[in-house]
Amino acid sequence: MTALTLPAQPRRDASPRPVPWRRMAWITWRQHRLAVAGVVAVLGAAGVYLYFAGEQLRHQGFISYGAGPVLSITAVLFQVIPPLIGAFVGAPVLARELESGTFRFTWTQGFGRARWTVATLAPLALAVTVAAGAFGFVFSWSYGPQINGNPILSPLAATTFDLHEVTLAAWTLVAFAIGAVAGIVIRRVVPAMFATLVAWSGLAVVTGAFLRRHYEAPLVTSNFNLPDGAWIESQRWAQDGKPVSLSTVDQVLQKIGATVAAPGHLGRAAAASGPSGQFGQSASAPAPAAGSVNPAQYLLHHGITQLATYQPASRFWPFQWIEGGWLLVLSLLLMAAAVWLVHRRAA
Amino acid sequence: MSIGKGIRDGRHGGGEGGGLPEAGARGPASPIEFRLDPASGVPTYLQLVQQVEHALRLGYLKPGDQLPKVRDVVASLAINPNTVLKAYRELETKGLTAGRPGQGTFIEATLSQVALPELAGLRRSLLGWLATADVAGLDEDGIVALFTSVLRDFHERSGGLRGAAGGDTEGVA
Amino acid sequence: MNIIEAAGLGKRYGSTWALRECTLAIPDGHVAALVGPNGAGKTTLLNLAVGLTAPTAGVVAVLGGTRPGSPDALDGIAFVAQDAPVYANLSVADMLHLTRNLNRHFDQGYAKARLGELGIPLTRKAGKLSGGQQAQLALTLALGRRPRLLLLDEPMASLDPLARHDFMATVMTAMADDGVSVVLSSHVLTELERVADYLVLLSGGSVQVAGEVDDLLASHRVLTGPAAEAGRYAERLGVVHARRGGAQAHLLVRTNGSTDPVPPGWESHPVSLEELTLAYLREPGAASLPGPARAERTEVSR
Repeated sequence: MTALTLPAQPRRDASPRPVPWRRMAWITWRQHRLAVAGVVAVLGAAGVYLYFAGEQLRHQGFISYGAGPVLSITAVLFQVIPPLIGAFVGAPVLARELESGTFRFTWTQGFGRARWTVATLAPLALAVTVAAGAFGFVFSWSYGPQINGNPILSPLAATTFDLHEVTLAAWTLVAFAIGAVAGIVIRRVVPAMFATLVAWSGLAVVTGAFLRRHYEAPLVTSNFNLPDGAWIESQRWAQDGKPVSLSTVDQVLQKIGATVAAPGHLGRAAAASGPSGQFGQSASAPAPAAGSVNPAQYLLHHGITQLATYQPASRFWPFQWIEGGWLLVLSLLLMAAAVWLVHRRAA
Repeated sequence: MSIGKGIRDGRHGGGEGGGLPEAGARGPASPIEFRLDPASGVPTYLQLVQQVEHALRLGYLKPGDQLPKVRDVVASLAINPNTVLKAYRELETKGLTAGRPGQGTFIEATLSQVALPELAGLRRSLLGWLATADVAGLDEDGIVALFTSVLRDFHERSGGLRGAAGGDTEGVA
Repeated sequence: MNIIEAAGLGKRYGSTWALRECTLAIPDGHVAALVGPNGAGKTTLLNLAVGLTAPTAGVVAVLGGTRPGSPDALDGIAFVAQDAPVYANLSVADMLHLTRNLNRHFDQGYAKARLGELGIPLTRKAGKLSGGQQAQLALTLALGRRPRLLLLDEPMASLDPLARHDFMATVMTAMADDGVSVVLSSHVLTELERVADYLVLLSGGSVQVAGEVDDLLASHRVLTGPAAEAGRYAERLGVVHARRGGAQAHLLVRTNGSTDPVPPGWESHPVSLEELTLAYLREPGAASLPGPARAERTEVSR
């Protein structure tokens, strides 16, 4: 038997050009139209709800401080959008091919499996990103005034920060990319979906709890009242140079009828007589009650100082772009990894 | 043996191949249709050769007749086209057929016929021999075995009869 | 040209070698049967040939020297995997459309005509077709690409006899019309005997037998004779497998092309492909491989 050689073959086919990319458009649409339609429908419905909620809030004409807790609940609900999209749209792309065995058909066709993966992931990634971005835009429009108008709420807070246009789109894209990689690694649809949810949640928690505060060096101030909408990272109280707890400070303030209304803000204490006490109002105006004392000066009198580390609200947009940027890079890397894994070994 | 019966069936239109179109639907039909006996132990290509020769002997095929197209044989029997080609090549080597490019394979010659009186004489002497064997106590299978073994010896000694296929592929126990 | 050529090919999954030291040269224009028990490595070999997986050791080339998985190889090879996978929720027409979009060349006319002949409606969902119809659909899609090599992995495992006949008839007709080479794997040899003219016997991940069926049948015979003498002839005759009764023994021997006379008192019979295959499967140490370099590895069973 002759030794095996792999000589350069003269091209047998007169047209060595590969199958054109646009042929995949119909295929991707046909195979994923349910998922895409589902995403658009759900986000569309939620968007419509948000639109009407936003209209209502605008017609109120005032800042509803009650939007605080309600806003938080809504925000929690909307937080599940990116990981669910990643799990339901991203994970099945590759996992379903492998689980059902159709990859043995599709990835042996002339198109080539690496190109097929790119041509399938790219349009879907674009579709979910745009849909999420649109929804984030509606969210910003709808709740933006509430967030910005309430001095205690910060637009940088983790509960709502990733629901705005740039970050929601980016978090959805990264969820999709995580889903794609999970699909090729795990090779089964349901476990891949589960892994996507877990991985995305982990990333989101780490980002919100640790990463985000480091985008820019925070500001430090000893001012007792922080600017409206500041996102407070930490605050330390000290009396005569020694650290003292927040409750001690609160006790001191009670004597003049004030309280630490919210981290970084001082205001009037609730009336001792009953539950009809007013919520601590904006601390920039001193309490109008007779003989009232400026809480800030009162504290200084008693040797109490505060060091607060915070991010000002003005950094909202820079932070949006920073977060969107690194999430985009991560998504592209993950999708490239998925393509590479498909290329390397299919069976 | 069973080969003749099969060709007779084919002649009466009961061709093999289930729902597939008849050979006749594709132009001039070949007079014969092949059938396979998978249990006979005879290689497929040889079965085809033998069926053609048998058809020639019995008069189903005459010079000028066309053999079934390779494609049609393959479609109805689900066998390797190389097998059909091998059979047709064998027939060509024996001088029985000739291929016309673009048209098919056609019968060129007949098998040499033994003249009728000679045939009658051979029949008589064979009957005599059979009577002797019967008296000696040989049953039918014994007769067949003896005949086949002597036939093989005769082949090997005389270098084979005119146009016969190679001896060691005719598998007989 | 060799339609599949392998040298020292091996594939390991984890710590198990699914295929090792596989050296093959399957010529084109043949129907090559890839036979062996379950787990012998047939699917692994096909996956390597079609580029779905990469070798751990050795090399494999297809279509006369092309790398599997390269655009030229993908173009010229059509693969029908086990259980003929199709997208269950796509209609037959959609599957045609899909295949056309994924390939440079696709003969839509042929495919539609063929499906019409088979009575497979274009509007039905592929998942609702019967097993035989799904297999025929997958085969039609493969043949519509007008490949040079058709690879079939256990294509008839779930087909009834009529469906099997129709399936093979389609494949053989395509071969007659277009000259496509076929490699098909099966663990049931009997259905392949009529069509295979090249045999590759895989057992335990190694190639045990490889060669043209005609050559294999011509170079093996069964010698029947007295059991007492069987041992005397075993080494000299190149016995692959022996079966003994009390007085009689059958020796399946490899004659190596030599014309040794049959020992006196012994009878010689030709051997069928099935008998040959079973004999080798029962003797894992025996092999029959082409080429002078392999002569040392052939012969002899215990």
